[in-house]
Amino acid sequence: MAELELDALTKVFQDGDDEVVAVDDVSVEIDDGEFLVVVGPSGCGKSTTLRMVAGLESVTSGRIRLGDRIINEERPQNRDIAMVFQSYALYPHMTVRENMSFGLEESTEMPDDEVRERVEDTAGLMGIEGLLDRRPTELSGGQQQRVALGRAIVRDPEVFLMDEPLSNLDAKLRSQMRTELQRLQEDLGVTTMYVTHDQTEAMTMGDRIAILDGGRLQQVATPLECYHEPANQFVAGFVGEPSMNFFEMRYEEGRLVGDAFEYPLPAEIDEAVAGATDVVLGIRPEAVELVGERDGGHDFPVVVDVVEPMGNENTVYLEFEDTAETLVATTDGMLRITEDERVTARIPEDAIHVFDGTTGEALHNRTVVDEEVASVPTE
Amino acid sequence: MADAEEDASALSSVDLSRVALYGALLAVMAAILTPIEAGLVTSFKTSPGGVSSTLPFAPPTPEFFTLSKWSAALNALGRGMVNSALYAIPATVISAFLGSLAAYGLTQAQWKPRYKAPLLALVVAGIFIPYQAVLVPLSRFWAVYAPLDEWLSFLWALGINDDYVGILELLITHVAYGVPICTVLFRSYYKNMSIEMVESARLDGASLRRVYRRIILPLSTPMFAVVLIYQFTQIWNDLLFALVLVSTESSPAAPVTLILAGLGQSQEGVDFPLRMAGAFIAALPTLAVYVMFGEEFAEGVAS
Repeated sequence: MAELELDALTKVFQDGDDEVVAVDDVSVEIDDGEFLVVVGPSGCGKSTTLRMVAGLESVTSGRIRLGDRIINEERPQNRDIAMVFQSYALYPHMTVRENMSFGLEESTEMPDDEVRERVEDTAGLMGIEGLLDRRPTELSGGQQQRVALGRAIVRDPEVFLMDEPLSNLDAKLRSQMRTELQRLQEDLGVTTMYVTHDQTEAMTMGDRIAILDGGRLQQVATPLECYHEPANQFVAGFVGEPSMNFFEMRYEEGRLVGDAFEYPLPAEIDEAVAGATDVVLGIRPEAVELVGERDGGHDFPVVVDVVEPMGNENTVYLEFEDTAETLVATTDGMLRITEDERVTARIPEDAIHVFDGTTGEALHNRTVVDEEVASVPTE
Repeated sequence: MADAEEDASALSSVDLSRVALYGALLAVMAAILTPIEAGLVTSFKTSPGGVSSTLPFAPPTPEFFTLSKWSAALNALGRGMVNSALYAIPATVISAFLGSLAAYGLTQAQWKPRYKAPLLALVVAGIFIPYQAVLVPLSRFWAVYAPLDEWLSFLWALGINDDYVGILELLITHVAYGVPICTVLFRSYYKNMSIEMVESARLDGASLRRVYRRIILPLSTPMFAVVLIYQFTQIWNDLLFALVLVSTESSPAAPVTLILAGLGQSQEGVDFPLRMAGAFIAALPTLAVYVMFGEEFAEGVAS
């Protein structure tokens, strides 16, 4: 087990005469035993980054350090890294036992009976001891997934790499495996780099998440930091479901002016935003409040367009009159609300985010005061 | 009651196009099987009496029935069968194996596509070189540039007939000629193999050679069946190279095709029953190979 460091990692693909920069100057340090989730939309370079760490893709520039070795030029088989693929990539002509033994046989001098013991222990850990003599084609998707994980775990490598390992599972199994994988990783304490496009997986599984877009690293932070203090508009929009509301506004002396509404800024935010002209106002759906009556400049009359009841909460799409702009709010599931109803939406000033309109950089993030973060009551 | 209705509807569903289809299939089958049947019945007839006094497709009448043509053909061809097997089997196996290795290198091994493409082009070009075009260069090559005859003189000293150099030349020639088509066949198969599976094996600690040995090779069985059947039939049936490299049917190293070409020809006329029996005997090994690898063959062709 070791820490993994990517230092200014860059990958340029040649496409005929064109150069395509897939990964652009990515630097991130993953501590020993840490679970880092790399997340981003498809084509953002996350898989390429992972493949460079695995040695399946050459590094254009930058360094990959594992423990105290630089592994840029190391062959994949010498890196002591195990990878779980989206397609599981099991060897179809081998039984589960042979699939799991393969890595130990190839990468170590371990005697046969020890290999057998290790494989059986790991199979027990994964709950697949009954499947050891079956072939992959005889297994369900979930079982294949377990075998693929077991095959990685049994080798006890320095680093786990996982490339969207759960995306071929159905929703129920996926959330089950999410929890299980997290527990396993914690028990084993192996440094893990996990790639996904699913922000829920990123939020729930990672110790920290690294968000990539267009090959560039946008932010590396804990899930809650990314959620509450996004470095830029991309992160703010990517993390959280439903996504943050964005409104393109113009900054004018103490207020923001947009097509749909004007928003007066309190003094401290005004200070942070001053100097910019085009800005984007962001507000998380759950921060939007529906209030009875207009009371001050942060309340706006809106019409309910669509209500999506989820049981525990409702996702409500609100429209500003005479504009096409929509404000999404999540409300309590017990709140009775119907379409075409006229209501007043409050955008609280302590919950707004302001981003630069051109660079997307965060000019102001909401303040999470300690009192707001409640702890679990204990006796 | 209900049964009767079903019968009626079953009858009405026998439509004309179906009848035509089966009719056409029967006709095609007859066209294919008739010559074989004719050959088989002819091989049991006496010559020239049996051939001239019975219809070509009719079985021999008892008075014209004989097994002597088969035993004669077996006697004449036995030596050739052994000689043919001596080069056809190793050449088939070696060319299939080399083709598989080359295809592995051209698909799963990591190197620049820029260098792979011209190599592949050369291999593909190799398939289309006609036999006739290489006959003269081939005989010159073996006579002048690679005089195996001289190099192996120690073998002839041991008492092996030096005509057998022809077998060795045929073996090497057929391997060289077979590798391109084998490579292309295996390449299409390997291209469809999961890249992630091979990558996974690399990460599991297996070297390029070990990946071939433990992953690619075991998964290639269906394609090996296709290639083995194809190559064996090609090599076994080849007459042109045999004519050029061994040349006489009287040579102790003569392949079966060479002997078969002259079998039953004499100044008195052609002994058709003998030729037919000889043809069946010479074709037996290729049939045997089909039967042996039939199941894998179907799987390989389907993929």
